[in-house]
Amino acid sequence: MTLSVFSLRLNGQAKGSFEVQHVTSLSSGSDDFAPIVTDDGIIFCSNRKTNPFLTKKNTEGVRLYDLYFAPFNAEGELSKPSRLASNLGKDANIGPASISPDGKTLYFTKNLVPGKNLKKRDSNKLGIFTAKRSGSQWSDIQPFEYNDPTFNISYPFISADGMSLYFCSDMPGGSGSYDIYMCENIDGRWSKPVNLGSNVNSSGAEIHPFLHSSGRLYFASDRPGGMGGLDIMFSTLSFGTWSKPVRLDDPINSEDDDFAFYAVPGGFEGYFSSNRRKYNDDIFRFASTIIRWSVCDTLQGNNYCYEFVDEKALLLDTLDMKSRWEWNFGDGGRAAGIIAEHCYAGPGVYDVSLDIVNLVTGRVEKRQASYELEILDIEQPVITAPDTVAAGETIMLNASETYLPGMTIARYYWNFGDDTVSEGIEVSKTFQIPGRYNIQLIVTSERDQSGVVREVCVCRDIEVTGNGN
Amino acid sequence: MRDTRFIQLFILLILTALPGRLEGQAVPGPDENIPFLITFGPDGRITSWGDDDFSQTFFFTIPVDYKDPFYIRIYDPDIGGKTDELNNFWNTRMVYSVYGGKGCYTHPDAKGIHPTNNYKSGTLLATRAFAMDNKLDERWFTFGPFNPADGEYYQKFSSNVFKIICDGISGDDGNLYRYFLSRRSDENVPIQGANAFTYEYTFRMWNNNDTSFVSHIYPFIDSGCIYIKQKNFDWDSDGDFVVVSVERKGQVMPLSGEDNWVEDRMPILDAEIGKSLDFRFYKRRGELVKNNNVVISVENQYGENLQFFSAPIGGVPVYKPRLKVTPKK
Repeated sequence: MTLSVFSLRLNGQAKGSFEVQHVTSLSSGSDDFAPIVTDDGIIFCSNRKTNPFLTKKNTEGVRLYDLYFAPFNAEGELSKPSRLASNLGKDANIGPASISPDGKTLYFTKNLVPGKNLKKRDSNKLGIFTAKRSGSQWSDIQPFEYNDPTFNISYPFISADGMSLYFCSDMPGGSGSYDIYMCENIDGRWSKPVNLGSNVNSSGAEIHPFLHSSGRLYFASDRPGGMGGLDIMFSTLSFGTWSKPVRLDDPINSEDDDFAFYAVPGGFEGYFSSNRRKYNDDIFRFASTIIRWSVCDTLQGNNYCYEFVDEKALLLDTLDMKSRWEWNFGDGGRAAGIIAEHCYAGPGVYDVSLDIVNLVTGRVEKRQASYELEILDIEQPVITAPDTVAAGETIMLNASETYLPGMTIARYYWNFGDDTVSEGIEVSKTFQIPGRYNIQLIVTSERDQSGVVREVCVCRDIEVTGNGN
Repeated sequence: MRDTRFIQLFILLILTALPGRLEGQAVPGPDENIPFLITFGPDGRITSWGDDDFSQTFFFTIPVDYKDPFYIRIYDPDIGGKTDELNNFWNTRMVYSVYGGKGCYTHPDAKGIHPTNNYKSGTLLATRAFAMDNKLDERWFTFGPFNPADGEYYQKFSSNVFKIICDGISGDDGNLYRYFLSRRSDENVPIQGANAFTYEYTFRMWNNNDTSFVSHIYPFIDSGCIYIKQKNFDWDSDGDFVVVSVERKGQVMPLSGEDNWVEDRMPILDAEIGKSLDFRFYKRRGELVKNNNVVISVENQYGENLQFFSAPIGGVPVYKPRLKVTPKK
């Protein structure tokens, strides 16, 4: 049974900050899924009809999956897809693929036993194969050394450095259904597959691994607790252990099957596959609507502490002046000395004055100098939040101390640095994964009479420790 | 080369802009708060009473546009009676001499602090000797009238300059006195814009150890001055001597003890150029030093003596702090 491997179905729902578009140029009315982006186009998997003579079918007349390639045209738009290669495998499902960083090696899924003479669907397992690129041709097709006729090995993903191969398998010893495994390239040979462990793998199916440049391993799983069907989630490797997965929100995940996630290095756009349009798998393009400023001022602490100096006296302060400098800071505080320091309780206008006491006569010469000190808070949005929080612990982030005089604030927008956002003067947040997160607070004004909208951004870090749940 | 044109212009501006402040004909001046000048008789050359040379010279400057006759008046010119300082019995004679004409000021010996060589330079316009004289005790004696044109015109001050010297010629008593440059012979009427100065000040401190009795003298800091050297004599360690200026608030200077000299250098700050310093003398609190007579002079780095004006040039210097307020890091 090959088809079922490519079309597992489960359900779920959530919310997020992405725009999602159906990629109609790759849509065929049949299953189209698992796109990977190359320098010159997109390779994806489909069981589409081509023509009565070329359409691949199995012995039971069911259309087979194959890899297709849609090149980018000069404008960067996708052109009409065609089969990637006719020689990858005859009379077999050819499925999800990955391509080496140099673009010369294709890792792809294929039935181990090609041909129409197979009688039992379950007996034709999937394996991983490689093909070498030579010009526009793919040749030298070789099986992965751990392919086995008794279980499936599929959904290959080759890491950006070409040294790690992730794949899925229902081989014995797993957590159930499909688990994700990894092999390392050691001296040109793949090490024995290693199960990624119980955080990544569940009793359900984990398929379509994709290791993003951020270190996140995205995959799809039908484990309970999701939005429905297959959900896309990610896990990160920390000190040799994969973290508990975090599900992506709506609209990446839906109540239908969402899988085969691929994102560009920045993570703000990419592709995934879903059957949310019913009946068939389709390819969707997503782009982040998350606002995140590339340059955002670091939140500054307000300073109410000042140093007061009589500069003239400082020039001669090594000499006996027979005088004492007495400062009145205008808030009831006093200090003596040519240099004095004082911290105020907060912003305000303070009448600072300096008396000089003649130490010979004892006479106090009042207000020999005065200074109107106006202390203002820094004009900035203000993030009030703890510096450190445990993973899993819910914290409140507050923007009520924002000081932006003259600005009528329309929106407080929070970017938590983990691709999640929120709005409001006070918001709650639960970080699930330990790490340092750079929080951005973007404050937007009402449109003024000139039609101008001001936006101001500040950021600060929050350290999320691994002590939480 | 020092810029004398600058100081000439500066003084001229001061004379015209601040006429009321420069009625410096009272010697000591009101801003100085000094009770009396003092000169001792020279017998025995006893300096421990507070006079190092038994002579005192003052100069009067009269604006060149003042053409009327004027008078130099002396308060208590005699030596005897209530005001003066008795040593054994009254036996002292003093001579007051008024000089004008060429060289009365500009002769180098006139600008010295010692009565030597031709310190009596210029044209003698009037002179008179005094001894004990009850008729003049605590009264004014008047020299004059003098014609302002009989002084030595000094362009830098735009003034005619006259000189008065009080020399002790015999005896050993202390002569306490004051001067006044007056438009009138019978009363003290100041001449607008006039002033008086000396290069060596010999004066009596207050017989009071209340620190509110603060005496001042005001050396003028000429352009090009880098540092000053003050020398004081026979202060009997009586209290504190501090310097105040627009830039400094009470810098302490050393005071001499009994019958000795002490000197000290003090760098001059740029902002003090073209202004007067305020030398303040606070008498010692506690045990009173009575009848304390003292001598002081100041020179610049060239060894040139600086003038002490009775009405300080530029006014009494007032220290004004310059505040700098900076947020703490």
